[in-house]
Amino acid sequence: MIKTERILHLKSFRGRKVRVVREHYLREEVPCYSAVCQAGCVNDGKVLSGELTHYVVPDASVVADYLEVLELRELQGIVFTQTAFQAVQHNKGRSRQYNRLRGLLKDPRHNCVLFANEFQEYSYCPREKGESQDKWQTKCVYSAAVWYHDHLAGLKPIVMITEDQAAVTQYSSLNAGVYVISIQDYLQNFWPDLQAAHELYSSISQALQEKGSEGTEREYAEHLPAEVLEAGIKSGRYVQGILNVNKHRAQCEAFIRIEGSTNKNTDLNSDVLVCGVKNRNRAVHGDGVVVELFPKSEWRGKTTALTEGQGEEKTGEEAQSQPMPTGRVVGILQRNWRDYVVTFPPREETQSQSRNSQRILVVPWDQCIPKIRISTQQADALQDHRVVVRIDSWESTSLYPNGHSVRVLGRAGELETEIQTILIENCIHVPPFSEAQLREMPVISPEKPWRVDPGQVVVRRDLRDTHLVFSIDPRGCEDVDDTLSVHTLPGGEVLELGVHIADVTHFVAEGSLTDLEARARATTYYLADRRYDMLPAVLSANLCSLLGGVDRYAMSVLWELDARTLAVKKVWYGRTLIRSSYQLHYELAQALLKGENAEVPELTQLGTEEKDAKLAQLTQALEMLTHVARHLRAKRDREGALELEGVEVRAQLDEEKNITALVPRQPLEIHETVAECMIYANHWVARKIQESFPQQALLRHHPPPRQEFFCQLVDSAKARGFFCSTRSNKALADSLEQAVDPQDPLVNKLLRVMATQAMSNALYFSTGACSQDQYYHYGLALDRYTHFTSPIRRYADMVVHRLLTAAINLENAAGHSKPSASNKELEEMAQHINNKNRAAQQAQRLSTELFQCLYFKDKDPQVDQCCVADAVIYAIRANGMLVFIPQYGLKGAVYLRNREGQVVTVGQDGSCEWQSGSVQRYPERISTTCSRGTSTFSLFDHITVRISVQASRYHSVSLHMEVISNKPHQNAEQQPPQLQGRSQLVQEVVRLAEEQAHDKAARGPKFSKEEREFCQSKSPNLYSLLEEVRELALIDCSKTNSM
Amino acid sequence: MAGLELLSDQGYRLDGRKATELRKVQARMGVFSQADGSAYIEQGNTKALAVVYGPHEVRGSRSRTLHDRAVINCQYSMATFSTAERKRRPHGDRKSAEMSLHLKQTFEAAVMTQLYPRSQIDIYVKILQSDGGNYSVCVNAATLAVIDAGIPMRDYVCACTVGFVDETPLADLCYAEEGGGGSSLALALLPRGGQIALLQMDAMTACKGVSKVLDEVVRQHLQDVSVLTRE
Repeated sequence: MIKTERILHLKSFRGRKVRVVREHYLREEVPCYSAVCQAGCVNDGKVLSGELTHYVVPDASVVADYLEVLELRELQGIVFTQTAFQAVQHNKGRSRQYNRLRGLLKDPRHNCVLFANEFQEYSYCPREKGESQDKWQTKCVYSAAVWYHDHLAGLKPIVMITEDQAAVTQYSSLNAGVYVISIQDYLQNFWPDLQAAHELYSSISQALQEKGSEGTEREYAEHLPAEVLEAGIKSGRYVQGILNVNKHRAQCEAFIRIEGSTNKNTDLNSDVLVCGVKNRNRAVHGDGVVVELFPKSEWRGKTTALTEGQGEEKTGEEAQSQPMPTGRVVGILQRNWRDYVVTFPPREETQSQSRNSQRILVVPWDQCIPKIRISTQQADALQDHRVVVRIDSWESTSLYPNGHSVRVLGRAGELETEIQTILIENCIHVPPFSEAQLREMPVISPEKPWRVDPGQVVVRRDLRDTHLVFSIDPRGCEDVDDTLSVHTLPGGEVLELGVHIADVTHFVAEGSLTDLEARARATTYYLADRRYDMLPAVLSANLCSLLGGVDRYAMSVLWELDARTLAVKKVWYGRTLIRSSYQLHYELAQALLKGENAEVPELTQLGTEEKDAKLAQLTQALEMLTHVARHLRAKRDREGALELEGVEVRAQLDEEKNITALVPRQPLEIHETVAECMIYANHWVARKIQESFPQQALLRHHPPPRQEFFCQLVDSAKARGFFCSTRSNKALADSLEQAVDPQDPLVNKLLRVMATQAMSNALYFSTGACSQDQYYHYGLALDRYTHFTSPIRRYADMVVHRLLTAAINLENAAGHSKPSASNKELEEMAQHINNKNRAAQQAQRLSTELFQCLYFKDKDPQVDQCCVADAVIYAIRANGMLVFIPQYGLKGAVYLRNREGQVVTVGQDGSCEWQSGSVQRYPERISTTCSRGTSTFSLFDHITVRISVQASRYHSVSLHMEVISNKPHQNAEQQPPQLQGRSQLVQEVVRLAEEQAHDKAARGPKFSKEEREFCQSKSPNLYSLLEEVRELALIDCSKTNSM
Repeated sequence: MAGLELLSDQGYRLDGRKATELRKVQARMGVFSQADGSAYIEQGNTKALAVVYGPHEVRGSRSRTLHDRAVINCQYSMATFSTAERKRRPHGDRKSAEMSLHLKQTFEAAVMTQLYPRSQIDIYVKILQSDGGNYSVCVNAATLAVIDAGIPMRDYVCACTVGFVDETPLADLCYAEEGGGGSSLALALLPRGGQIALLQMDAMTACKGVSKVLDEVVRQHLQDVSVLTRE
């Protein structure tokens, strides 16, 4: 190693310039990471493929500005130099870009490497005196390119791309085989067909050009420097948090959610309100910001009235709640910009919009995001199209942020565009599985079916002949990931209960491409009309699916229970080989339990005698299972497990697969039995891995909810005369049990929904990151819980499977027994999975709403009976109320005062009209007063509403509800479902002929319900029930925004 | 970017070393002829000068005299020009006093003081340029000076610092790495017997892997240092 020195001039803490001398060691052997290396470099890890025509070395400024272009997977053979890498790293405020670059380098799907050119003896060039940083960086990158070329003995031409024209002229003729060209030339010469890269390049370069020509008029206050912010936070003058924009009042209201431990201001336990765009000071929804609090006299309350439509902002006397801490943003710690979907405005608006026709204000789909200004020449072509854009910067002189377009999705309003919009807005990337990934999968063809590996038979416990294994899933399920077995061991003293889960990790090696893709997706995404699998179909529907009658690998938990007391005597965990005897569905299993005469498909071929014997054996197993599950359930109930009601609706289909009615699902006892066994397995696996790896096990906890969130529940219950205790989960479960209104079963249902809503989400975490008392699962009343039973559709389960395997190996002291992930990595992974799960839920909800809207879109609200429905009031606001429509499982706002100041009044026969008057709000009722008298609506009243679709050009379509009577709607129940279905069918046929777009939309719902119901194995544990409840819960938007 | 990245994904440190590589060491003995022993050492950009006087009879207050062994008197100081910003107080501040005490303890363990009862040995160490690892450089310099003075020792004392980034131990920290916020551990060792003369750890969080640091890196690399310093 050769020692040299580098002289840096840094700013000291007090702002003085300090000369710093740092050592700098150079070495000869720096790995080049190329497959064609002749010098025998130690290239471990990612290697540049040798099959490429050339390698490309981007300059530091190219990496900084055009990283997005380099991110395209088509561009291969990129050598990032350390110089460029560090330029991005040291660029303040670019830490996200730095992380992206790092991710790119780690991602095995991208063919790019990092070359440490500054530590290479022959490629390092010291910075000369007076040389500018840019010049020096270009020189370094060039000398690295030359070194690379020489190192590979000229086998590969090297292309250096730079934006500096002087460098192009200076260097291009110095060395043969090393070409220096501009990025534009590069794309044109080497990638003429890659349209996406060209578009991205021109949109970025245009955005960069425009950047210089900004006005000088200051629109916003400057952000404070980072040191001041840091000092301010430490001293308690400022508080830091995450900005949350209220989507109903995006122009004026935003809240800062305070990050717990960082602020010393402990009396400040609520959120901070930021009023107006000026005070928000260029922060965008989701950014990490620093706020300064105003003096108490200037504090304001948040608006409690519902706003109708969007865009119009009323000032003046609006109903406000208690004053809350108010402040303004003084600095931004972390930008959290992602890809946004925007809509181009129609031509008439663009022309009037600005004097400069190249720059256009586009409106994001997400209402929380401000309009974005982008430069483009395609404004006319892209009218009413939805486009993905990225924000580049937001200067203090500009009213709106500047961005550039990335990709066009399609025309707004089309089904495919809208679905893509939902995916992108939730950061869900689900490209089809690449060839390289599919190549890792075992090949199966009809001629050469997959067989059990004899080597595996030796290591696995063989349960094929000894155990009666069966699965219970929804009808028509493809991916069976859990099976059960139960029998009495010889002697009759001991019961053996077994849960066998598909052994996915056997097929998906850790770190393989399939594994990386599965980790990135984290879960299977279920949308209303389609699903995106986490694993390729060959695994999820075939090899890992525990189908009946075939040999499969499984991961099993076997308990030996005392036959009388059902106490656990012994637990065995391990890999097994099973053959499922019966693939039952819920209805069939329930029928068998009840002793009804049911036809088991697996037994139809057999003779009567044999059949009866087998049937008796199966029925006995099911009975035993139910007995055990009841016991387990009772035990958890004593501990305080919550039963939360889901307003799950099921679509009833006629023979042509049309929705004839939405009926609430009938829960069968067998659902609960299976769920209970899964919870039990999850619990015991959690215990095992936590004991084996106290610092690095992936568990799932459900934190106890904050008491103040229960206010609505307690108040609502009081309105009906029930007392609700929320002290503990046990007390809550008991009081929910008692709060039953004999006249109206919906009251109890709604209360349970409110209780669910008050709770926080259950989350994955690594055991090293929390103290042991935080492991508790509130909803299930278990001290430790994890997810183990659905590895086909959840990545967390795969992690747990690997941990369990490691734990078993540890016990046997065989093989590698260390878990591969450290606590920190695991915690990061847990966060990632939590985020993805949230996104998946959100996407599912949005797509369901989209289809609901499409369902009502074709119907004329004035005429069609479908659009009139019975609704229950579940919350009161200042100018209206929130209602729930049981028939469709919809929830929404109903206004009692419109924009003109008119209010709803109720006539003699219960019908409603608009008249001028006033609205008075009480805790449990709301009344309108006008010349004709006073009318009152109370909590849990049944009213009749009319549903209509509110179209929106820029945002998602929404449903609008209007009260038309304060009496319950009678019609809906009496109407025979067939009739409704037929009218719908006729309508659809008519539409089909009329318009293709409508056809698409109308066909959507048919597929949706069918698919959601029957083609997936939502494993029916109570837990997923609980989560489904949450999705369907009546979400009070203004509240969730402020939380 | 919150702070510097001490170890890149490819395993390079800020200055281009790998995790377990030491800085460049250069040493010279007998730089001054007036003193009984002297040495000059460079470890990377940290440069130190050590001078030894004695053994001679106890100067100053007689009460410090020990009847069965020699008194060791250490003084550590830093030159005013040793840091990037001029240092106001070269010695006598709290930090220097602490460092002097540590040196004294280290050499009381190493020098065979029982051979010189009722006498005194003075060790003066001055940091000429500071770039991390001051303590260990001082110990190494002082060892060389003691050898130069011909004072018998149980073993050569060798010292090195180790830091900890995530899970990886870094040997011989430079200034930027010391200030990087991680934990750092200084260790002086009598390599032949494997005895520890002094161990000092500065860490914000409890360092779980002390034993790992000790076993895997320090011992091995102290051997390297001892080989180097003996030359």
